[in-house]
Amino acid sequence: MVKRKYFLDLNDLQYKQIKHPFWRKLFHGLLWFAGSVAVTLFYVSIIQKYFGSPKEQVLNQQIEDLSLKYSMANRELDFSLKDIKSLEKSDEVRYRPILKMEGISQIIRNPGFGGVERLRDLNGYMHSDLMRSTRERIEEMKNMLNVQNESFITIKEKTEEWKFEMDHLPAISPVDPSFRLGDRYGFREKHPVLGIGRMHYGQDFKVPYGTKVYATGDGKVIESGNNSGGFGNMVVIDHGNGLRSYYAHLSKINVPVDMNIKRGDLIGLSGSSGSLSTGPHLHYQINKYGSPVNAINFFNDDITEQEFTEMIQAFGSDSVYR
Amino acid sequence: MPKSRYRFNPESLSFDKVRLGFRDVLLRGLSYLVGSLLIAVVYYLVFASFFDSPKEKALIREIDQLTLQYDIIHREMENLNKVIGQLEEKDDNLYRTIFEAEPIPETQRESGVGGVNRYKDLEGYNNSNIVIETTKKLDNLKKKIVVQSKSYDELYELAKNKEEMLKSIPAIMPISNKDLTRTASGYGLRIHPYYKIVRFHAGMDFTAPLGTDIYVTGNGTVEAVMPSLRGLGNHIIINHGYGITSIYAHLDRFNVRKGQKVQRGDVIGFVGNTGMSLAPHLHYEIKLNGKNVDPVNYYFNDLSAEEYERMIEIASKTGQSFD
Repeated sequence: MVKRKYFLDLNDLQYKQIKHPFWRKLFHGLLWFAGSVAVTLFYVSIIQKYFGSPKEQVLNQQIEDLSLKYSMANRELDFSLKDIKSLEKSDEVRYRPILKMEGISQIIRNPGFGGVERLRDLNGYMHSDLMRSTRERIEEMKNMLNVQNESFITIKEKTEEWKFEMDHLPAISPVDPSFRLGDRYGFREKHPVLGIGRMHYGQDFKVPYGTKVYATGDGKVIESGNNSGGFGNMVVIDHGNGLRSYYAHLSKINVPVDMNIKRGDLIGLSGSSGSLSTGPHLHYQINKYGSPVNAINFFNDDITEQEFTEMIQAFGSDSVYR
Repeated sequence: MPKSRYRFNPESLSFDKVRLGFRDVLLRGLSYLVGSLLIAVVYYLVFASFFDSPKEKALIREIDQLTLQYDIIHREMENLNKVIGQLEEKDDNLYRTIFEAEPIPETQRESGVGGVNRYKDLEGYNNSNIVIETTKKLDNLKKKIVVQSKSYDELYELAKNKEEMLKSIPAIMPISNKDLTRTASGYGLRIHPYYKIVRFHAGMDFTAPLGTDIYVTGNGTVEAVMPSLRGLGNHIIINHGYGITSIYAHLDRFNVRKGQKVQRGDVIGFVGNTGMSLAPHLHYEIKLNGKNVDPVNYYFNDLSAEEYERMIEIASKTGQSFD
């Protein structure tokens, strides 16, 4: 096929080949290029108006995926918050009342987050709020966890104190409770030896000679030996918290001064030593900050002989409950 | 310039006028359109690979920030969970130290019928609400049936003097304990806190702060108000009639006098630490015809089915009683 085109020159009536000069070709080319750009813009503007550019669509899809990830993270945070709340509840409702501790106020537990100022660099995005709220939640929860951690540390210390106190409390009967109780704490009209009215500061147990006497709580022996005041062989144990227990008229003493004692340790055998005793018995006395208190309030006699033996054995062996 | 164009025909050796038919015009138009589209695509691809539109730039910035923040969040969340795990372990250790027992997980349940997530598999259907509600109601009913059918005598009495009896039977918890966190120890064999031997524990222990209100659990008469420094400490005995008495022990203070008539929910005293007690708590006993019974069977007014089961679980698992 011949490409050349001709035109009829009406001046000399000859067919002449159509020839364009270079500038004209250049001009045509530029015009064509400009036209094609214009057409492209036209197409692109139409497509973008109705569909958005493909790249935008891809980007938007990515953003959507990301916000989905955020909402999943928030879901997970919901669970974490629930866990934290249950820790708080355990702390507030379970441990603090038992340890007689004050609760922690909600303001300290969750003081909230600094607000807009602290995450300012997140301003100006389409999802600013989403990002900021998620970050804020995390910061809040971090605060809550810090408070909770501190609280648990305090509680742990307090628990150890509490256990210590409970172990040191003279809380059991010093002898097998199936023995009958003798004279009680209170005023005695007639002292069996002195024969005059006199205050009796202890609780007597009617036990035969040689009955085993056990320490009623953890502590330290501060007196052991013959007492000049008429109590004979006497052991005094200091339990801390101002509490001391006295075991008097013993026939044999098992523990020296300064010895550390555990509840249930055998400290001696009962007897009738001392000038103020008329027969074998145990005088058990508890002093609180130097003044005698009624020792009967420090133990229950609802325990059977068998249980008592079992208990002493449990204290003696390395029981799992200790 | 003349409009007509000519083409040289080498066969006839003449110049033919170039004429365009309709088909030619159409073809040419179409080819222009396709061509322009192709060119547009090429332009666009070239342009897009080197430059981003402002909108795209904004989107990319958004994505970058979102990704960055997400990475931070992800890392922080891992830390959070780690810390939570550590704290939970601490919590469990505290629980073991104080209650001498293995802690019961809050949400997970090992096995058995029911529990907190009991109705979970019913969720997600169109009518799941109705189904769940109905199932719950059925469970409640079942539980009530079990409680009520315990003795035909009771049922007979119930029919005879239903209202009076329902008001008198202990049916609520003696302290406010909706989430059951205050339940410390149940009825049965427990480690004694001081003796450290396993003994029978005749009631239920609820830990609570000193001075917490104690409610009477059913209508009745105050049979005894006993101040004491030993054993049960300050305690109150309420006679509910029908052979039922309830005992509230280790009170700090009393709020009733002997012989007073009380109605369910009245505050009769305040939680304390008197008598042989490890910590401030309420010891709650129910006696039926003079014999101790498990109080866990007497909470049918304020516990739902799953709460009831959880209560049983908690009450049965604790290792140490508080008195």
